Amino acid sequence: MPGTDCNPIDAVLATFLESPVMIIVGSCDDGLLPQVARAAGAVVDRAKGRVDLIVSGWQWPQTIANIGRNGRLAVTFARPADYVSYQLKGRAAIVPASAAHRQRAQHYIEAMTETFAELGLDQAVAASWLVDLEPQVLRLAVEAIFVQTPGKTAGSMLEPSQ
Amino acid sequence: MTIRLRDLHTCFEGVIPSIIATASSDGIPNISYLSHVALVDDEHVALSDQFFSKTAANIRANNNAAVMLVDPRDGSQYRLSVVFERSLDSGALFETMAAELRASSAQLGMADVMRLRGVDIYRVASVAAIPSPGAAIAISSPATSVYLIAAATLCGRISEAREVDAIVDAVLDGLRDSFGCANSMLLVKDPAGERLVTVGSRGYLWSGIGSELTIGEAIIGTVAAERRTIRINDMSRIRRFGDAIRAAAVDENQTRTIALPGIADAMSQMALPMIAGGALRGVLFLESKKRLAFPKDVETALSMLASNAAAALALADNTSGNEQSLVTSQGNGALAGRPFSVVHHLFDDSVFIDGEYLIKGVSGRLLVHLLGLHLQEGRADFTNREMRLSNELRLPDFKDNLETRLLLLRRRLEEKAAPIRLLRTGRGKLRLEIAGPALLESR
Repeated sequence: MPGTDCNPIDAVLATFLESPVMIIVGSCDDGLLPQVARAAGAVVDRAKGRVDLIVSGWQWPQTIANIGRNGRLAVTFARPADYVSYQLKGRAAIVPASAAHRQRAQHYIEAMTETFAELGLDQAVAASWLVDLEPQVLRLAVEAIFVQTPGKTAGSMLEPSQ
Repeated sequence: MTIRLRDLHTCFEGVIPSIIATASSDGIPNISYLSHVALVDDEHVALSDQFFSKTAANIRANNNAAVMLVDPRDGSQYRLSVVFERSLDSGALFETMAAELRASSAQLGMADVMRLRGVDIYRVASVAAIPSPGAAIAISSPATSVYLIAAATLCGRISEAREVDAIVDAVLDGLRDSFGCANSMLLVKDPAGERLVTVGSRGYLWSGIGSELTIGEAIIGTVAAERRTIRINDMSRIRRFGDAIRAAAVDENQTRTIALPGIADAMSQMALPMIAGGALRGVLFLESKKRLAFPKDVETALSMLASNAAAALALADNTSGNEQSLVTSQGNGALAGRPFSVVHHLFDDSVFIDGEYLIKGVSGRLLVHLLGLHLQEGRADFTNREMRLSNELRLPDFKDNLETRLLLLRRRLEEKAAPIRLLRTGRGKLRLEIAGPALLESR
């Protein structure tokens, strides 16, 4: 389990979260209807135990609306090559996207496109998943981290270990 | 525009992982990738329940979920609002999903670990396309009728073929020429045992004719055991079965086993059972280096082809023995050529020609029998009928697959460039051609 109570995100995990990994975001509205979205990059602030997720407001308006209402958020980071995965949960707030956030999103999209190309996936196919149009930042105060990497049972998902 | 689930059939091929979001009763979301989403009908999908227990716990407290599907052809994304209805642990849908899971697990050597616990059925309340800034072009698959026309043409050719080898060639050539499938093989079930034997292939470094697989083993053997088609459209997560592909010749001589052909970097595989008269006759296997090479409509067309070929093979094997015995002729002047040795090992009927493994079992016995008659009586022409009547051959019962065994033998002799050839001289008639004096020895 990465991190400690006072600083839940250790350096290794922080590097992983900012590397070219797929980021999927779960939220729900007040009627408990869940939503799926993707994020286009993350910025980790270890000292404050928080992660900024850059999400396209154009592509995922319902997720942005959900976070605006109740702040409840789950996010899973998964590396396409080997399915190493972590799920983070906590409360998030919407903050304006800075120039640094926009730059991070651009770099993320370039790196992910390259990663998918190495795995034999066409750039045009992956383009719909890597969108930073009208970026919004969901600033997540991390409350819990779950290991979600499948074991040697490749192809299946393992239950979070914590 | 309303999107029907059936319009999204390529999203269910398992190429790009789907995603599910749920929420607990106190509003804490959970998000996870899914290995398997199946299309049930226009209003329902099925998710396999083999691992994600947080999702399972949430869904029992709050039955609403969101599922995201991705079309592997153009990357377009679809959001499904779904409501959990019920779990299944038996029935046709459960069995199909369980068989697919078993097939992929068997290849990982984890058949016992990844057992399907249940299938969760969800009602789909709405389907929406996620916007994409790029012009996502939905590439429509060729109309089903294209595949149907190809299958119909091919079935016609198979029906016209009278001999086992012509049927096998019609199937494999047709897959290559009409369906663009470069790598394929046809295996028949050995009526004497729980094995499948390769009788023809296309597109491999070696033909693998005579190679065997136990029923239940790997994807082909699983299809034979389950008698249902299995398609895998993205092999990148699944380790290739059969370990490394072996160099054939050297290994053969030690193990008396012919290596099954295969392509190491296959991305798609499909195996179809060949059933006729209620019995499994064989398995048709196809593979490709492309992802999503075998969509559902190709499977539908090829399932008809597999049934047709199974019926034709069963018929060819049962009608070939009715000819009258041919009057014997003289030997074919073999004495002029280079002498060669034929060693017959009695314990498994394996035959080696000049030290090179040829074949074993009934096919081996057949060759030794024909060669023995040739050496004793000086004749070279034989009929299937006399072979069936021979006590010495100990052919298994009336459903002996004699035609198939002779085909195996004929093709192995050709492939090994052996100094013995078996020629068809007519329906149910054979001629032994020998390039030099044969020294037959039984051990």
